[in-house]
Amino acid sequence: MTSHTGRLYALALALVVFFLSWAVLAARPWATSTPDARLRTLATREAQLRREAALVRALVAQRWATYHARLAARKAAIASAKAVAARQAAALATSAAPSPSPSVRVVTLPPLTITRTS
Amino acid sequence: MTERHAFRAMGTEIELLVDCGGDAEAQLAAAEAEFHRLEALLSRFREDSELSRLNAAGSLDAGPDLVRVVELALAAHERSRGLFDPTVHDAVVAAGYDRSFELVPPEDDEWAGAPMPMDRHGHRPMAIHVSRARIELSAGVRIDLGGIAKGYAAERAAEVLASAGPCLVNAGGDIATRGGSWPVGVETAGEPLTLELSHGSALATSGRDRRRWRRNGYELHHLIDPRTGAPSAGDLLRVTVVAADAVDAEVAAKALFLVGADRAADDANASGMPAVLVTNNGHTILAGGLG
Repeated sequence: MTSHTGRLYALALALVVFFLSWAVLAARPWATSTPDARLRTLATREAQLRREAALVRALVAQRWATYHARLAARKAAIASAKAVAARQAAALATSAAPSPSPSVRVVTLPPLTITRTS
Repeated sequence: MTERHAFRAMGTEIELLVDCGGDAEAQLAAAEAEFHRLEALLSRFREDSELSRLNAAGSLDAGPDLVRVVELALAAHERSRGLFDPTVHDAVVAAGYDRSFELVPPEDDEWAGAPMPMDRHGHRPMAIHVSRARIELSAGVRIDLGGIAKGYAAERAAEVLASAGPCLVNAGGDIATRGGSWPVGVETAGEPLTLELSHGSALATSGRDRRRWRRNGYELHHLIDPRTGAPSAGDLLRVTVVAADAVDAEVAAKALFLVGADRAADDANASGMPAVLVTNNGHTILAGGLG
């Protein structure tokens, strides 16, 4: 009895050892894990895009700063021109009394041509 | 040396004067060609002109000159509060001016005195619509650009001629200048007056003393009053106006003619627009700083 039970336990243990060994060998723990080539390419591309994005951000920031500087200068120039125009308009409005059109005057010269009813 | 060249176009005598050191023959020829080109586009007496085709069809994809002149006419209509009105075509025709003026019979007893086919009381919206190159007229409306086309042509010809030197273009009394100083004779009720134009200024004369005819004993003329639809019966015989360009001068001369001597003198003085007004009863009024 004792010897029969012992043999059964030994067989079960042997089976367990056998399947465990099978599983360990099937997993091939000695093989080195090499990443997929497509993953490597994607990683490289990602790094490149990150570098380019950083460059573009720097460029946009630089141009935005330049635009703001020019816009400020342009606004200042417009304000200055408006102020000059306003001063000129005020000067015109308050200048001496209107005179007859400078483009025509009565003369005693002989006419070169005559205007008649058209 | 002043070169002079005269020819007929737009139903009137055209005179070109240019101060030049050398030969201006090419520029004079080009300026004359410009008149003939514009007449071919803007005459209401030529069936194939753009204007006639517009009047016949009621709408037209027109060339830049017709579009520009119509735009100028619309602006003049607004500026003159309706006194300048290019839609008086039918009224002019009804009055008997239905062909080139040389062909209009000076006397005719058979004319029945056709009523003016328009109902006009005061300034009203214009029946012409311009959108880019498209001109559209309201139903039954025809336009006559005779009141503005000669001034426009004079300005365009002066532009052409100016490449030869200071110049003057006289289109039957509508005068445009470029550079130089130009003494121009103006008919008055008495001795002629000479006005010296300078700084590119322009001058135009409108009146009832030339383009006139008689029908059934009534004297008629080409200056239609849009408020009545009939030839103006005001107290002015002739108005001469100096302005910045010939189109403005032509429009202003017609507007002053229509309002009568008193208001014309007041308006010219108020606006500082030099004007010579000759009344039917033989008075000459200098206004707008000329007096």
